[in-house]
Amino acid sequence: MAEVFLPREALGELLGALRASGRAVIGPTVRDGAVVYDEVESPRDLPVGWGDEQAPGRYRLRRRGDERAFGYAVGPHSWKRFLFPAREALWRSESADGGVPRIEAASPDASPRAFLGVRACEIAAMDVQDRVFLGGRADPRYATRRAAALVVAVQCTEAGDLCFCASTGTGPRVEGGADLVLTEADDGFLVDARTDAGRAVLGALPVVPAGPERVAAAEAGVRACAAGMGRSMDVRGLPGLLFGNLDHPRWEAVAERCLSCGACTSVCPTCFCSTTETSSTVDGARHEVLRVWDSCFGSEHAQIHGADFRPTIGLRYRQWLTHKLGSWTAQFGVSGCVGCGRCVAWCPAEIDLTEEVAALREGADPPAPVPAAAPPPPAPGGDPLLPHPARVTARRVETPDVVTLTLDAGDLGDVLPGQFLMLGLPGIGEAPISVSGGGGGVVEHTIRDVGAVTRALCALSPGDHLGVRGPFGTAWPLEALRGRPVLAVAGGIGLAPLRGAIRAMLAAPADFPDVRVFYGARTPGDRLFLDELDAWTGRPGATVAVTVDHAPPGWDGHVGVVTRLLRGGAIPAGAAALVCGPETMMRYAVEALRAGGVPEEDIFVSMERNMRCAAGLCGRCQYAHWLVSRDGAVFPFARLREVFGRDGF
Amino acid sequence: MTASEPESGRGRPRLGVFKLASCDGCQLTLLDCEDELLALAGAVEIVHFPEVSSRLAAEGPFDLVLLEGSVSTEEQRELVHAVRARTPRLVAIGACATAGGIQALRNFADHEEYVRAVYARPEYVSTLAAATPASEHVRVDFELRGCPIDRGQLLELLVATLLGRKPQVPDESVCMECKRRGQVCVMVARGEPCLGPVTHAGCGAICPAYARGCYGCFGPKESPNPSALSARLSRDGASDDEIARRFRVFTGWAGPFREESLRRGR
Amino acid sequence: MDADERTYRVDLMTRVEGEGRFLLRVRDGVVERAELSIFEAPRFFEALLRGRSIDEVPDIVARICGICPVAYQMSAVRALEAALGVQPTPEIRRLRRLLYCGEWIESHALHVFLLHAPDFLGYESAVEMAADHRPVVEMGLRMKRAGNALIELLGGRAIHPISVRVGGFSRAPARSALAAHRDALARGLEDALAAVAWAAGLEAPDFEQDYVFVALDADVYPLEEGRGIRISDGTTLPEADFETRFGEVQVPHSNALQCRMLDGRAYLTGPIARLALHAERLHPRAREAWEGTGMSLPVRNPYLSMVVRCVELVHAFAEALDLLDGYRGAEPSAVPWEAADAVGYGATEAPRGLLWHRYAVRADGTVAEAKIVPPTSQNQARIEEDLASIGPELAAMEHGAATRRCEQLVRAYDPCISCATHFLELDLGRE
Repeated sequence: MAEVFLPREALGELLGALRASGRAVIGPTVRDGAVVYDEVESPRDLPVGWGDEQAPGRYRLRRRGDERAFGYAVGPHSWKRFLFPAREALWRSESADGGVPRIEAASPDASPRAFLGVRACEIAAMDVQDRVFLGGRADPRYATRRAAALVVAVQCTEAGDLCFCASTGTGPRVEGGADLVLTEADDGFLVDARTDAGRAVLGALPVVPAGPERVAAAEAGVRACAAGMGRSMDVRGLPGLLFGNLDHPRWEAVAERCLSCGACTSVCPTCFCSTTETSSTVDGARHEVLRVWDSCFGSEHAQIHGADFRPTIGLRYRQWLTHKLGSWTAQFGVSGCVGCGRCVAWCPAEIDLTEEVAALREGADPPAPVPAAAPPPPAPGGDPLLPHPARVTARRVETPDVVTLTLDAGDLGDVLPGQFLMLGLPGIGEAPISVSGGGGGVVEHTIRDVGAVTRALCALSPGDHLGVRGPFGTAWPLEALRGRPVLAVAGGIGLAPLRGAIRAMLAAPADFPDVRVFYGARTPGDRLFLDELDAWTGRPGATVAVTVDHAPPGWDGHVGVVTRLLRGGAIPAGAAALVCGPETMMRYAVEALRAGGVPEEDIFVSMERNMRCAAGLCGRCQYAHWLVSRDGAVFPFARLREVFGRDGF
Repeated sequence: MTASEPESGRGRPRLGVFKLASCDGCQLTLLDCEDELLALAGAVEIVHFPEVSSRLAAEGPFDLVLLEGSVSTEEQRELVHAVRARTPRLVAIGACATAGGIQALRNFADHEEYVRAVYARPEYVSTLAAATPASEHVRVDFELRGCPIDRGQLLELLVATLLGRKPQVPDESVCMECKRRGQVCVMVARGEPCLGPVTHAGCGAICPAYARGCYGCFGPKESPNPSALSARLSRDGASDDEIARRFRVFTGWAGPFREESLRRGR
Repeated sequence: MDADERTYRVDLMTRVEGEGRFLLRVRDGVVERAELSIFEAPRFFEALLRGRSIDEVPDIVARICGICPVAYQMSAVRALEAALGVQPTPEIRRLRRLLYCGEWIESHALHVFLLHAPDFLGYESAVEMAADHRPVVEMGLRMKRAGNALIELLGGRAIHPISVRVGGFSRAPARSALAAHRDALARGLEDALAAVAWAAGLEAPDFEQDYVFVALDADVYPLEEGRGIRISDGTTLPEADFETRFGEVQVPHSNALQCRMLDGRAYLTGPIARLALHAERLHPRAREAWEGTGMSLPVRNPYLSMVVRCVELVHAFAEALDLLDGYRGAEPSAVPWEAADAVGYGATEAPRGLLWHRYAVRADGTVAEAKIVPPTSQNQARIEEDLASIGPELAAMEHGAATRRCEQLVRAYDPCISCATHFLELDLGRE
């Protein structure tokens, strides 16, 4: 369709037509010295005549001296605020005494909205978040709001001081993703309707044919904008460059300046990390779980069992940048940076990421190999964030601080050894717990009491209810290992995730003629599944070796770390290994296995990272190029070689 | 901190509220939970809370003690040790109890200068030379920051204690709360000095919401970088004295703020 | 035979703000000692204000008291603005009065329903009282919440508000935001009217004293500003001349200075004094409520302070509603000012009474000197005289009941002990 022209005086009619279509119009408006996005009712609410000056850590409005309504570069808000709100209720629960907790999803606001003044970089940012929230396990809340949004784009004809979308290939021309595209001129707007919804709005407007001069002028404006970007960033080979330079001195230099305040991640239109928050009534009967914007600059983002494995500002900044410009590509098939410049303007410490990237290129080591982009295929299933009630059918005390719960979880589908469920109690919280067994409609979880949630889980009794989500993650690759000797190497509670795999292999001796279990526990009293360990020992083709770190008098078994059991002839030729335990234990186990001739492709490790949503939507389980909940927890070690055991990942 | 059953056996958790040098605002925050007060009073057993009840049992024992104020006299030093011995869970509430409070400014003061000031009968008054947080004297199980503490965070602490969950009290920056509220950064857009980037969240970023910079009353956030903020303030034209003064107000005695103010000023 | 010596003491006063004790010793019907000791640890505000920036003063002095921070902020900005010749706009002044109404409501409701009422009804706490009188406690909490909500809206938070600046407010609320509080305030007014009748119906001990009343002098019921200080002997003096009639003395048994008239007399400040000097300036709704009690002016029985506080609750709600209805925005929300070498005085009516500040400031923007006289240090001498006065008649009472009667008397003053303590200077050299 040919482009048409909307005279400036008729801008109000555009807003009117959008409102008449039943949509609230969200657009730019001046508040507190900046252009922000909020509901607008008439052109009076728009930043008519306002432009801006921006520099690292500095933003000032200025009078343009003309009547342009969109003569500003992007401000502190982005559309993510409306598609992925900063605080949002996920679900609510209510329980009468001892009864089944009633859990209800909180319904998202699905009222239709028009986003007015969306820039090319912002459309690119929406595309990035679409990949995050709709790509794998879809977030129905985001999907609802996204579907209800009409996008009225505005092409930029002037570059902002901190813009670099020309470098990132995300602007200033609006290619797709818009229903209507405006290009502003002094006397009005060139309008291009790209969808039926856009055309319907356009139909109500007093437009005239644009004429070739106006079209050419708009084209020229966009080209000039592309040529006049205030910043640029060389994006060639960034993932490899960043991962090849994890020890570059620039990380320490930027850490000196970085406040780790999280402002950059908050203003970034693509950053999607979130955490959850529960609010509860004093009587403990009602709870509401909210999703809240989070940041990889916070301490909780990388906590496991209270320890922060990304404790310094340098490691956090490196995580942010290597994710944004590096591992994002492997995770979602696209870079996380759209060149909008917000993180530069709104950094209180005046850090300019384009400058940081340029500095990292100085004296850089060769790039590291990076995995091919592997965004997840759409996964079926309902709301991955909504727990389902499950009932405890049996409880078995394994050791003083370890309990195995058997759950009747209804229709979870197949739960494979190596996968995990999120087990939760309303008002207390959730924890990712691997399945330790199951089948026939029940799943087993073996849980160590290490915190508030696991303590409460361990205290459950048969008949009690809890909430479950899942199953999530990858399974031990038993199919692929048929016919080969398999070593199961477990440390501590790490035997639990392996138990299902061991049971499955022992149940199919024809497929798994040689299964060797190596198990290290702290003390004899900490050994799990004692009966089963004995039973396994007796199976033909199975061997079980157990060692303890600390032995009381009378213990006549092995003493020492589990890797000692892997010495000598313990590793048969052609073996594959399944390894699960504390990360330090796994590191030594992998070394011993490699030394014993097991190739890295055939060593499978089960990783643990901070888990919130477990569905790949919250960003918590970042592990270099992967999301542990989605791409793991079971990984072939070969994929992790570059980062395994490295500080900060 | 996790809790579930009262240490003192089954029944409602036994609560004690003690006060050292303070303005009473933090314990008043409990009374400011108007909607929840009676429900809370039913869920816990108020064993010792002088501002609320004349029924006193300072000797406890307690399941939870909220301690307000800083240690600024010898009697208070003894009290904080005594209270510690009477409870498995000691929660320091507010800037005084967690960082010394405004009265800890005297810790920086030139003693001679103070002595030269005019006193009518100084012999009637006895205090320690420094006002210090509880954690400088005893082990503290949890800290609620703020001058004053936030009502929502106090409720969360109490409800979490009752339910046995970890209190959700993020140690992130004020900037995170400010950005979630969609506020415009006062420092970037107006050049207003703001301690938000180094300050512990919890207030809801109210100062920027009211068009002024954060003055740090929740104290340092986790992994703060006050020097980087000083560098910014200095580029914006602030003198070292002014920077030192900004770090040295209600939580000026908290380690990272104290060190930065000493680096910048006297 | 030994003399008849009776000692009434409470070593930790409860249901008051801060830490104090009292001791009353009567021997053979003669009062030997009547002491209110404030052992709250001093925090040296006047010393630590020296050298601070002028614009930090409202933030810092708020921390003197968690219950009446607005009062400290208001007296401070009054004094500093007087020093610097700053004239806030009428809109700003009205917003300040509205903010102060919020604090009166919060503080009076707290004192009446959570701290003092249990004395009259025979409970140890409002929580215990709620078991039998839940609607009354809930009514008090409802009023308190309305007051706090008002402070939160104008000041950002209920305790230690952050928006009060020299010259005005860092931000003034939108009309719509203020209007959203109308219903709660209207309900509060109804509650307060009911509270007056309820409080007037409680049995108060018979006890009358001859007081010198002191309050701010003003054309309206005195609150956030006045044009001087009024004494019930008929004199009025400028705020700057406070120290020509009143002075502080240090007593060995207390960490607070006692403020008396220079002729040595104790005087009364607070709700009863305000009512005595300004009854005709009450809001008509409050005036009507007062008249409905049938009590006569001036009130000379300190045990009736609760009734007067309830009347002031009516006043604060009614006036808040008027201010809210008349609000047309307050932009600019602050007037600019420049530092100068100057001295300024300012007094306002804290919930507990007159709060007087004096600052000497410097052209470099810092505070050279600060002096703060809070209401409780003014009332302290009066409390002791009241205690001495009831001493002889306690002999007829059982000891526990007599002690409780003393406590009730002290509590009737709503002593704010943290406030009273703040200003002693520290002699570190003697440690």
